[in-house]
Formats: sequence, structure tokens, C-alpha cells
Amino acid sequence: MKTERILKAAVAAAAAISLAGCGQTSAGGTTEGVDAKEVYGCNVLNIYNWGEYVGEDVISNFEAAYNAKVNYDMFDSNETMYTKLMGGSSYDILVPSDYMIERLIKENMLQPLDKEALTNLGELDPEVVEMQKVYDPELMYSVPYFRGSVGIVYNRKTVDEKELEEKGWDILWDTKYDNKVFMYDSQRDSFMVAFKALGYSMNTENDDEIQAAYEWLKKVHNNVHPAYVTDEVIDAMAYPDANNPKDLAVVYSGDAAYIESINPDMGYFEPKQGTNIWSDGMVIPNNAGCPALANEFINFVLTYDSSYDNSITVGYTSSNLKVKEDIANGDYDGINAYLPRSNYEKDEVFRYNEVLVQKLSDLWNKVKID
Amino acid sequence: MKSFSKMVYPYVVWAAVMIVVPMLMIVLYACTVKGNSVLTFQFTFDNFIRFFSDPVFPGVLWRSLKLAVITTLICIAVGYPTAYVMAKLKPNSQAVAVLLITLPMWINMLVRTYAWRGILSYIGMSGEAKVYVGMIYNFLPFMILQIYTSLSKIDPNLITAAHDLGANNTETFKRVILPLSLSGVVSGITLVFLPAVSSFFIPKLLGGGQYVLIGNLIEDYFISTGDWNFGSAISLIMALIILVSMYVTRKIDRYTAQEEDD
Repeated sequence: MKTERILKAAVAAAAAISLAGCGQTSAGGTTEGVDAKEVYGCNVLNIYNWGEYVGEDVISNFEAAYNAKVNYDMFDSNETMYTKLMGGSSYDILVPSDYMIERLIKENMLQPLDKEALTNLGELDPEVVEMQKVYDPELMYSVPYFRGSVGIVYNRKTVDEKELEEKGWDILWDTKYDNKVFMYDSQRDSFMVAFKALGYSMNTENDDEIQAAYEWLKKVHNNVHPAYVTDEVIDAMAYPDANNPKDLAVVYSGDAAYIESINPDMGYFEPKQGTNIWSDGMVIPNNAGCPALANEFINFVLTYDSSYDNSITVGYTSSNLKVKEDIANGDYDGINAYLPRSNYEKDEVFRYNEVLVQKLSDLWNKVKID
Repeated sequence: MKSFSKMVYPYVVWAAVMIVVPMLMIVLYACTVKGNSVLTFQFTFDNFIRFFSDPVFPGVLWRSLKLAVITTLICIAVGYPTAYVMAKLKPNSQAVAVLLITLPMWINMLVRTYAWRGILSYIGMSGEAKVYVGMIYNFLPFMILQIYTSLSKIDPNLITAAHDLGANNTETFKRVILPLSLSGVVSGITLVFLPAVSSFFIPKLLGGGQYVLIGNLIEDYFISTGDWNFGSAISLIMALIILVSMYVTRKIDRYTAQEEDD
């Protein structure tokens, strides 16, 4: 449960505080102990990341190693992050998704990274770098953080796997599953599902295809009366409600990995019709107050230890190749959601497209309103 | 007194900067659309036309108003008798009763609504009923306290006088107590209806995302879509409705106050 994670985080924080206290007296212990203020001229780092998206000790370890202070804020959607950034908030590190990085690059909001400081770039998984090339072609502005896909979490006991294999996304409107479905409350992800179910590209601007996707979603709405949720889906599938268990849910792969690790009845499936493969990356905005230290932080996250901590805590696929392999064969052995499908021609990366967003927003509200 | 009147200035400045200026910005956004590189914005009523030309948006507005009206009516129906009984208690018991009514407010509204979510889904209640339970639960104390205050302020001599003049209990209630307590009902309506019509997190948490209200719509257009112009237009329509309903409740209040004087 979330509370469990919060407790863990609280314990970690308490440990970090006591450790930090020790560090003062026994300075220069195991870490090399850089003083950020001396080396970079500033020692405060403002980080803006997704909620539940960082390892338990990554931040405190960084603070200890660089004698720095990290202010850590969280957002729940790329659009919230963008709105806040546009409102004039200043951050040193952001961790948006692919299409949002594409947008920020286009709007000249980012500064190029310092490749000399990023000595750990070689640790990156070549597959994730391939995905990065779509939105950051010169690999100048971002470093991949996590990646994943979107798929269906299903209850192995109540859903026939053969039927799921055959129907793919179209199982979501089967009246058999009336009141048994979670949809993701995001126009981007829901329309992606509809476009893929109909065999279209999810980056289409074609009005007929958009209309058909709208009708597909309306069919889901009318046939199975889905609950539209966001992060609540994680707990709801990991610990099903005894009175109202759901059989099917549209979920991000990392959340699915967490659900599978808690509840062995649940499986993760990526339909053959294709899906959205995405990655989130660390970027430094133009108005960063301490970019040199921000580059150091990015490099710090790329190390084996930090990447391992991040990935094992959160459940998303690490962009550090060695960490990915070790976790896939170790703690998350047998959990297929940890290794999302790659190199499949029908899977796509979402592109930034303002026209499409505008077109879909009215339609998405219409889907949800009776 | 004159020297104290200066103490109002900080609030005037605060209200101007924090309320009036943002309101004007909403009006500006609502009446414009993104322009081109020469004109950064263009004046238009397109946003309002867009709202009313598609049946979906007025439908959401209607649903929000319906939810707020029904919530308010149930709050009055439940709150008035409760307040009446409270006002009849011994002074010590009254203090305890007020404490009991305000007790839930010691805990954050969000936390209480989360608790309801667990309870209601355990019972197996449907989406819409859950939203109503959550709304009434959260707003009922405001109604009770307002009505209770006006009831407890009624001079007991008036009631004795009514009885002296031959009025029975029903008659006394109808012609003395009810008219004198109406001001409490009116301010209760203001405190319940206005937040209810614009509330969005209770429906969001308890409705399972299946229950879109005007507040959710505004949030959606500001944050997910980034269409601040249309979002502002919806906010402005909301603000106008609130303004009108405040005007109407004021009118009722004044009407009853006049009756008292007559």
C-alpha cells in the first residue's frame, strides 16, 4: 500500500537525518565529500519530479556527497509541470516525458547539458537512447531517467488469457466486464488506446480517425461503465476491493510491475495492436539557478547505485543497462512488466502536437459525460 | 472610531491585489483568444459561444447546479431540526452539542473524504449517491451552526408573549420562530450552496472519475489542455452564476428582514 511506502520513506528520511548528523563529525568517510558551495558556487538544487518516482536514499546520498541541499517538489502530470514552469517557477532539474521534452526544446526552454560533467553516459541502455533520439535528436538536452509502456493489467483468475491475446485492447468494451474496468483518466493515454485498437497511429491528426476513436471510447464507456482513475489504480489492483474487484485496468508498465510484485494474481499484457512506449528524461531549464550542480546530479543518478535504488523502489525500467539486467534477473525475475516490449513496429513514441491536444480535450470530456 | 478606520487599508490592498486583479485577468482571458505574432490576443466572444453551442458543457453546468441545490435542500431539511433541538437544550449541553458538530472539522476535509471513500465502497454504494453523501456530510455543519446561532439569539420573551396571546406551538413556530430564524437559513445557504456548486475534489474522489462537474472541467482546461481562454470563460460563467445567486439570497434576506420590521 501507499502507506507502506510512505512509512519506508519516513524511516529512510529519519535514517538520513541521523546519518547526516554522523557525517558532520566523521567527515571524509567513504564518499569523496565535495563541497558544492566551493566547487560550483551554489549548493541548493531545486528538483521537480513525478510523485513516487525516486529511490529512498538517492536524494540524501547526493546531499551528503556534495554537501548540498535539495528542494524536492512533485507533479502529477506533464501539463501541471509545464503550467508551473510557465508561471515563472525556477528549477534546476525537471523530469518530464518525451513529448514534453520535445515541446520544451522547441520553445527554447532548456539549456544544453554539460557532456564533460556527464561521465556516466556510457551506462545508458542503447534501447532507451534510441527512443530518446525521437524527441531529442542530437542528445543534447536530456538524459533518460525511466522508460516504460502502457498495457493492460488483468486478473489471471477471471480473464481468459487466450481471449485477451486475441482481442487486445478491444477486450475493454466486452460487456462481460461491465463495472470491472479501470480506464486511465488522461485524454492522451485513453485516445492512444483507441487509436491503437483501431489500427491508427496515435499521432494522427485525421478528423475521421479522431471521430472513430471517440466513438470507440464511447463504446467502452457505455458497455462497461469504467471508472476513470489515475494513481489510485495502483493500490486498487494490488489490493483489490473485496466487494468491487476489477478485472482489467489500463496501466503504465512500472506501476504494473509494482502491482505484479505485490499481487501474484495480476498479469501485464501489451496488446499486439501496438501501444505507447515512452521515456522520461532529466533536463535543465534555462532559468536554473545552479546548472553546474544540476549536471553533477544527473551524473549521480546515472551511477549504478542510484539507478538501482530508483528502479527497485519505483518499479519502472531503469535506463542504466546493467541495473536493468540485474533487476530483471533478480528481484523482478518473472515480472514481465519490468521489461516492456521493444523494437516492435506498431509501438510508437508520443509526439508533441498542440493541434491534436486541443481537438481531443473537448472529445475526452464528452466521453466521460453521459 | 475614525482612527480605527485606517486599519481597513491593509485588507483593501490585499483584496485589490489578490482578488480584483486576478478577476480582471480572468475576464481578459475569457474574452480573448490567442492571436498571431503581431496581435498577441484578439477580443472575441467565441469562448462563450463554444460553451453554449455544445450541449455537453451546459449539461455539466446543469448537473453541478442540481448537485448544489439538492445538497443545500437536504442540508436545510436535516440541519434545521438539528439546530432547533440544539437551541432547546440546557446551556451546558448546547456547548457540548456545538463542540460535537464542529469536532469533525478538526480533521482536514480531504482526509475525511478519503475515509468516506473506503466506507462507502465497502457498503457498495453507487457513484452518484456517494458524491451526495460526501457533499452533505462536509457541508451540513455550516448549515446547522448558522441556523443554531440565529435560533439561539431569539428572545425567549417573544415566545412567551406569543403563547400569552393565544398562539399554540405550531402557530408560534410558524409566525415567530421561523421568520426570526430565516436569516440563519439564508446565510447557511450562502455557506453551503456557493462552495457546493464549485466543489470538485469531493466528486472527483467519491465519484470514481465518472462524475464530471463544472469545477473538474475548469481544472481540466487550465491544467491538462492548457487552454486558459476557454477555462477562464467557464470560470467567468461560474462567477456570474454565483453572483446572481448571492444577489437572490440577499434579496430574500432583506425581504424577510423587512417583514420582521412590519
